[in-house]
Amino acid sequence: MYSEKTFPIKLVAGLIALFIAAPMFIVIPMSFSTAPSLEFPPPGYWLGYYQRFFTDRNWTLPLFNSIVIGLGTTVLTLALAAPAAFALVRHDFRGKALLNLVLMMPLVVPHIVMALAYYSYFGALRLVQSYTGLILAHTCLSMPVAILILTAALKTFDRNLERAAANLGSRPLTTFRLVTLPVLKPAFLVAGLFVFIHSFDETVIALFISGRDTTTLPRQMFNSFLMQADPVLSAASSVLFTAVLIAVAVPAVMRAMRRRRPTPGRA
Amino acid sequence: MGSSVSRLLRGPAVLYLPAALFLLVFFLVPLFNVAWMSFTEPDTGVGNYIAFFSSSFDVGVLLNTFKTAAIVTLTSLIFAYPVAYVAARYGGAFGSFLLIVVTLSFWTSFLVRTYAWMVILGVKGPITAALVMLGWSPPPQILFTTFASTFAMTHLLMPFMILTLYAVMRRIDATYMRAAAGLGAKPLKAFTSIYLPLSLPGIANGSVLVFITCLGFYVTPVLLGSPRDKMIAGRIGDEIEQMLNFGGASAMAMVLLVATLGLFALYSRFFGLDKLWK
Repeated sequence: MYSEKTFPIKLVAGLIALFIAAPMFIVIPMSFSTAPSLEFPPPGYWLGYYQRFFTDRNWTLPLFNSIVIGLGTTVLTLALAAPAAFALVRHDFRGKALLNLVLMMPLVVPHIVMALAYYSYFGALRLVQSYTGLILAHTCLSMPVAILILTAALKTFDRNLERAAANLGSRPLTTFRLVTLPVLKPAFLVAGLFVFIHSFDETVIALFISGRDTTTLPRQMFNSFLMQADPVLSAASSVLFTAVLIAVAVPAVMRAMRRRRPTPGRA
Repeated sequence: MGSSVSRLLRGPAVLYLPAALFLLVFFLVPLFNVAWMSFTEPDTGVGNYIAFFSSSFDVGVLLNTFKTAAIVTLTSLIFAYPVAYVAARYGGAFGSFLLIVVTLSFWTSFLVRTYAWMVILGVKGPITAALVMLGWSPPPQILFTTFASTFAMTHLLMPFMILTLYAVMRRIDATYMRAAAGLGAKPLKAFTSIYLPLSLPGIANGSVLVFITCLGFYVTPVLLGSPRDKMIAGRIGDEIEQMLNFGGASAMAMVLLVATLGLFALYSRFFGLDKLWK
């Protein structure tokens, strides 16, 4: 029997992981840099660009807009996707395959195609440069994400819980409220979070249909890219990265800590 | 009539109709409108398509787009495979570490990562500084070249590839490899005749998804790429913003859309569309 040497391949994987993480080692120091243009390593450090990111209206308004649009998109997407997910998992009906196809299609259609589509369509409906237009557009694009997460959760849902509730005399709506909904709550939260991030990060459509007053954060970042001069961009990037870091790392660390602790006895 | 309406209301239709109608009005109709404009703006007919395919510049853009997507897909596959392999095969603390790095990168906005590459590859960045130190003077222009955008896109899509590969590799039974070793197969032989074939669905999934995403990539090529070697998405953007040529832009958008959906349909025919989310 041959013993397998695992070290070389692990080293390769580690180096590639380092390459994947590399940009973050740049963005964070850059955000504290005093350099007015892209310069690395930084000549000096201060907090001035963070201050501008959180006080300059050119940045606070887009941040606010992105949050409003993200929240609106999350609510509307979940309201539409949740019932559809129930229909897909629990019912058989004519045209189900077609429905599935339409629900998934926004995942594959390139964003630039939809940007052109909304630019002309919402132009005719007078919805360009409005919150409504962006929320409607982002809801379409987020629908597949929400459907995928919710149907996956629903498939593993044990329907015996509902049957037990019904046997005990609970009416369907009460069962839904007291049994189905609490069990599915984590899935709803995850779906909501993913949809929010999807909308918050979306750049291409926002570039074409958001106006001066509804500029989103990605659009503002893209524009300061083109001007190449605005160093607040690095502070904005670091804030976004830190948000992701917290969202990803905190649950991972918590899981690791729970694993290490001895499982508490359940009396 | 009344009874059929009430039957409809009791069935699943009441659950899925809101979503279906929403997508019809705010997704399919705008999309059909693009197809319509490509044949009617400014004149009825296939003029926009003839103009596109007879322009050597535009055909060059289209070919360049496919070429770039192919390079990005292949490169990211080569780099993604070892990471997914180690994470799936050996797991442990190191495997979790790899997955956390990949997930972090995956969730970090494209713009943020593109910005990082702009700094790294820029005139005052570390790469240029290193090249100058090694005696390459004057240093080569890296930013705003096809190399820069291809490189950055590979980096952007690699986490996508790794997670898709990992999803398939995680389900490969470790005992197969041990059995092969027990029967006397050398590690490389065991890998090529057992592990690699079993991971093929992951390779197919990842490659098609990365290729399709790359075809329609707008942000990174526009920000980091060469203004001369455009990709089709950037070209569409120019037609809208600078030329206000909606007919021409629509025809290009249809070419991109047909290429994307065609590839996806072909892929789902061979690998089963539903396998992706079942």
